[in-house]
Amino acid sequence: MKSIGRIWNSFANPDKIPRIYAMILGIVLVAGFIIPLTLNDNQLYPRPEPQNQINAQDPLAPYDRGGTPFQERGIVTAQYKQFLPAIGFITAYLSPIAIGVKNTTLYYGTSIYSSPGGLIDEILYYTRGFDTVLESSILMMAFVIASWVAINFTMRRED
Amino acid sequence: MDISILGSQILGIIPLGDIVFYMTSFNLFMFVTALAFTFLIAISKTETQVEAEFGTLGDRQLKVAKNEFKIRRFLAIICGLATAGAMVTGDLFDFTLFVCLIGIVNIGIVGAVKQIDVLDSAFQYGLIAMMASTPLFAGAALILASTGTISILEINSLTFTTPMMLLGSLLLFMGVAGETGVAPFFATKAEMFRTPGSPFLLIIHLSSLLIIVRAIEILLIINKPF
Repeated sequence: MKSIGRIWNSFANPDKIPRIYAMILGIVLVAGFIIPLTLNDNQLYPRPEPQNQINAQDPLAPYDRGGTPFQERGIVTAQYKQFLPAIGFITAYLSPIAIGVKNTTLYYGTSIYSSPGGLIDEILYYTRGFDTVLESSILMMAFVIASWVAINFTMRRED
Repeated sequence: MDISILGSQILGIIPLGDIVFYMTSFNLFMFVTALAFTFLIAISKTETQVEAEFGTLGDRQLKVAKNEFKIRRFLAIICGLATAGAMVTGDLFDFTLFVCLIGIVNIGIVGAVKQIDVLDSAFQYGLIAMMASTPLFAGAALILASTGTISILEINSLTFTTPMMLLGSLLLFMGVAGETGVAPFFATKAEMFRTPGSPFLLIIHLSSLLIIVRAIEILLIINKPF
């Protein structure tokens, strides 16, 4: 039986901290199994039944939100009704690479297809505006840090 | 605007499509604090430490090299701006993204140093920050599923709370605690502060302080304990 002082001291050792964190997180997640599930049907971002789009041979299924960029609005429900006329015009935008993939395969929407930036993200995030900026700045910062470390610690080592 | 959040009146909103930033006097104070500190950091130079050795006269001066100084200043400014954004955002998912950005930038600020011990503890902090993004986004997703919205202004006007919202809040708090490295996970960050390079290191402290205060405000709004 360890004394409480030794347990407190183990919190001061950086090597042990990730394990302690993972253990607490695991306890919370397991305790989550006994919580009754509730689902509010009145969801903010509705979409049609997934099977409808798959049966219609839509390559973007189940993420297709319809619409044409800058001309026709996609399937969007606004959180704030007063801004509804302004949003949804770029929901359907795809980059040239994404259009290429979409024309090649029927399973674009269901495949785990990733590249820097995330092609699936293009479909999901254009609905929400500012999140797109933040999401890509997180990626950009990760690349900034990784390339700085690579240039200064890996390529120009002083020792 | 006659909406009140936790007893303070909303002074105004900044609409950005489906995401709205709102200002109360409480948020506005923290927003201005974060911005002012970011400005101070942007114009300041880094400190120089002197390491004295017992029993000898061998004092060593620890200087921060120019390229190291530049990347740390850049990352510290990004960290300050992300903190300021997280103070006023009125969208739960947006808040989690800001916290995630702060976490990754914090790793970068100390990842640029050359002391081995500091890099070791920065690695441990990075492990926690990566693990923490799971409960962070899962908490936001559970709250979205059980309320149908992630707008804090809308959640504020709901009248019910369900056990699943409580679980979502708990996961969200676990995520914020991991990303900002507060106690009892503070040991990894405490080691990181040993390196020379104040004031850029102080933004790590300030951001975690402000983020925790704001996260508690959001949890109070979601769960309405009063």
